[in-house]
Amino acid sequence: MRPSFRPWLAERIFDLALLAYPRAFRRRFGDEMRDDFRRAAARQVTAGTLVTVIEEGLKERAAAVARWSFWPNHQPHLYEPSGRHAMFWDSVRADVRYTIRQAIQAPLYTVLAVGALALGIGANSAIFTVVQGVLLKPLPYDDPGRLVTIWSHNTAENRPENPISPANFVDLRDEARSFAEVEGYFSFVTNTQIVLDGPPEISVTSYVSPGMFTLLGRTAVLGRALRDGDADGDIVISHGYWQRRFGGDPTVIDRPVTLDGQPATIVGVMPPDFAFPYRGMLGPTGFTRSIDVDAWATMLLTGPRMVDSAGRFIRNVHYLGAVGRLKPGVSVAQARAGVAAIASRLEQAYPDTNKGWTTTLTPLHEQVVGAVRPALLVLAAGVGVILLMACVNVANLVLARGVGRQKELAVRAALGAGRKRLAQQALTESLLLSVAGGIAGLLVVRWGVQALVALAPANLPRVQEVAPDATVLLVTLAMALVTGTIVGVVPAFFATRADVRPALQESSRGSVGSRSRHRMRAALVVTELALAVVLSVGAGLLLRSFATVMTIDPGFRPDNLLTLQMSIPYRLTTPDARRAYYAEWFERLDAIPGVVAVGGTTRIPLGSTSVTTSVQVQGKDVPVSDLPEVEFRRAMHDYFEAMGIPIKRGRGFSAEDGPNAPAVVIVNEATVRRVFGNEDPIGQHIRTGPNPSGPWSTVVGVIGDIRHAGLETPPSPELYVNYLQNPPVAPFIALRTAGDPAALAERVRTEARAFDSTLAIYDIRTMQQIRAASVAERRFLLLLIGAFGALALVLAAVGVYGVMALMVSERTQEMGVRLALGAAPSAVLGMVVRQAATLAAIGVTAGVLAAIVLTPLLTSQLFGVRALDPFTFATVAALLVSIATLAALVPARRAMRVDPLDALRCE
Amino acid sequence: MDRFRAETYLPLTPVAFEVLLALADGSRHGYSILQEVDARSGGAVSLHAGTLYRVLARLLEQQLIEELDAPAGQANEDERRRYYGLTARGVAVARAEAARLESQLAAARARRLLSEVDA
Repeated sequence: MRPSFRPWLAERIFDLALLAYPRAFRRRFGDEMRDDFRRAAARQVTAGTLVTVIEEGLKERAAAVARWSFWPNHQPHLYEPSGRHAMFWDSVRADVRYTIRQAIQAPLYTVLAVGALALGIGANSAIFTVVQGVLLKPLPYDDPGRLVTIWSHNTAENRPENPISPANFVDLRDEARSFAEVEGYFSFVTNTQIVLDGPPEISVTSYVSPGMFTLLGRTAVLGRALRDGDADGDIVISHGYWQRRFGGDPTVIDRPVTLDGQPATIVGVMPPDFAFPYRGMLGPTGFTRSIDVDAWATMLLTGPRMVDSAGRFIRNVHYLGAVGRLKPGVSVAQARAGVAAIASRLEQAYPDTNKGWTTTLTPLHEQVVGAVRPALLVLAAGVGVILLMACVNVANLVLARGVGRQKELAVRAALGAGRKRLAQQALTESLLLSVAGGIAGLLVVRWGVQALVALAPANLPRVQEVAPDATVLLVTLAMALVTGTIVGVVPAFFATRADVRPALQESSRGSVGSRSRHRMRAALVVTELALAVVLSVGAGLLLRSFATVMTIDPGFRPDNLLTLQMSIPYRLTTPDARRAYYAEWFERLDAIPGVVAVGGTTRIPLGSTSVTTSVQVQGKDVPVSDLPEVEFRRAMHDYFEAMGIPIKRGRGFSAEDGPNAPAVVIVNEATVRRVFGNEDPIGQHIRTGPNPSGPWSTVVGVIGDIRHAGLETPPSPELYVNYLQNPPVAPFIALRTAGDPAALAERVRTEARAFDSTLAIYDIRTMQQIRAASVAERRFLLLLIGAFGALALVLAAVGVYGVMALMVSERTQEMGVRLALGAAPSAVLGMVVRQAATLAAIGVTAGVLAAIVLTPLLTSQLFGVRALDPFTFATVAALLVSIATLAALVPARRAMRVDPLDALRCE
Repeated sequence: MDRFRAETYLPLTPVAFEVLLALADGSRHGYSILQEVDARSGGAVSLHAGTLYRVLARLLEQQLIEELDAPAGQANEDERRRYYGLTARGVAVARAEAARLESQLAAARARRLLSEVDA
């Protein structure tokens, strides 16, 4: 390079950097800065220097804006702002004053426009608040991005996300090198009996290993959280439970209580924003109650549930969940590979129990919200369409307003207002309307969020963390500005095209330039119709999916069925005592007038978790590692009769199947297919677990398949044992009633109190309620998208009506001429309706094409219907064309009745 | 017009005070101020072309410094430059700031944060 080139280049670059400063500053100090740069060029001039110069320049600009901004001030300043700068702010102030004056003079228009924008912006912000609270906000743990859930994955039967057995958990925890810590929890929440200062109550308890709170990085707000070394019996309660049950009493710490018959102490209260576990962390389950954990108790790796008689950890019963914190620098992929390797080694070492099982990881955030993300995104898209439609409607309103102001615009143009100036005024007006709409929309956000949270399905994860905050405010403001710009573009465009001379003429026929204006309005309405089609098709598909799901036969009769859960007192420690207790209990329930049949089960369909066990069939030599798994349940009293579950072969349980009678089981048809290879199972012998020895049970009956985990989940193999041969402690009771089941709830409660005041009865729901809760998420989505669809239809109808009404009023003269020349009134009506139908046809076609592209995105939410379902598409298309035609009829009829003399006279 | 009170300008930013110090013994142009500040503070106060002129602009607005002609007998290139010097106000404010800093140092010494030797 020539020696003089480099400095020249550097100086040019410096000049560019100087552009960051305001023009007046450059004029005043630019020469000096350039001179300094030249002198300093002898030293090292780095890119850092240039960055600093640019940075300082921008700061100077910002300071200048702050000083000579909207409100004039009188601070001394070195260099006057450019004339342009002052003029710009003057013009902005003038535009604002003008807009406010115009808005007051046309209150209806202002209210309509601001109202539409408030609804659109507010609804969008409300949905965004939910999306933010559920999907975007990090979980309430320390550094939550490093947390993962650990599952067992049964590759042989393709069942991912299974709980882990105690032995596998201990091996993972000890051997995994990717984690700083691993802690465990029961993969279900239990309803424990807690005695505080009166009869036993039920508290929803989650059992966690003592180090869990340390792993999550949360401390108590009163007392202390559980920690390593805590004994059995130390419990921590939730903030909500503390307020609800203890009224926020601070003396609750160290208070002795009884938990499930054992002494316990409350050692701490957690903060209100703490939640654990989330529903997604419970593994596959039909659990439909919301999980509001009241208390956390210690899960110690001791006791008969954890350790077998030989002192080894139990490996074949899976019921633990695990959370791990990744070590710094370890990626999820690396950790996954690590645990998979450990699982593989365990599979080799313990083929009897671990064959076909591996271990998987899911980042905790994904585990908690992953299932609900598609539905929330669909909601966000739907409400976005509504906002677009609101924008179109307001743009139409502004255009209509513009028609009336054309003369005034023409005068301004004639007086020298440049096009940019007119466009700026139009844009200012739209922005102001939008900002006003945004502020009014904040009210909509508040009510909307309250309504959404109230309507939301009980098990929508993190719904208690949904609340408007500063981010929502910023997003609302941003939406208002973007909306204002979109809405403002149309009238701004038209403002610059104001044709001066014709508009100024005294006798202008109708409104000049109305043809292009009309085309624009027609284009806007076509857009509205297309958007309405897209939204309505989505709503229609969701409606059909919901209807299909609700018509699924659950395998039992859900009507006239009352259910409840109970927890027997702790004094009943022997099976005999329990049998006697249940005998009297069922006798009482049977005697209630209106009760047709009574039964019980350990797992109520659609409303509870499941446990599985492996089974062996006598005579079938299956290696221990390949034993099939079935869902294990106990049936009580007249369970199948009460539930309306058909007995397909053999018989149901009877009182003869007592403790001293031969062991019997009943299976369902899925078990017959999966375990018995479709042979007749009656009379065959079966036993649970992998043990090579032990008593066999005889299959005495086959029942029909039922839906347990959900209406949409195919039935699993089930095995029922009679409760008399092993009485449970916390079963569900099902009562079939002659009339309305809800009416008997109080009677059942009274009966329970009369029977035993220490008996805990809770969660009394009809089966219809349970079934409704099991589809609550689907219903929620349908409700909202359906509301959006209905709103879209209304907006589209209003849009069509507006355009046709304007057209009729603009062409009154023409109609008058036609009628005077002898055209039949029906012909005039036909002309208007045909115009509307053409608009509708174009709009609907565009909408159908858009829907064809977009509805496949909805597939994850559909059931039993294809995304490109022709019936739905055709129905929506027909519906919209009819709505558009009907909307046009009103102005069409008015056109028909135009008095030709009046029309011709109106010159 | 309110009476001029030097205290209302305190405390000065370190950079502003350095500039006033640099001009205390005579008027200088911009580059000379840069050199002087760099030499005096041994590189501790980072001042470069970007920040200097913004500070000069603020000081000019507050009428603590003023623009002067080049003194007679300067080298060719220096002749064309603008020179800046302290106004009477500027002197007063610089004095007030120095006094403020001195009283702070005295307090530090009294509380044994700064030994007599180090000072």
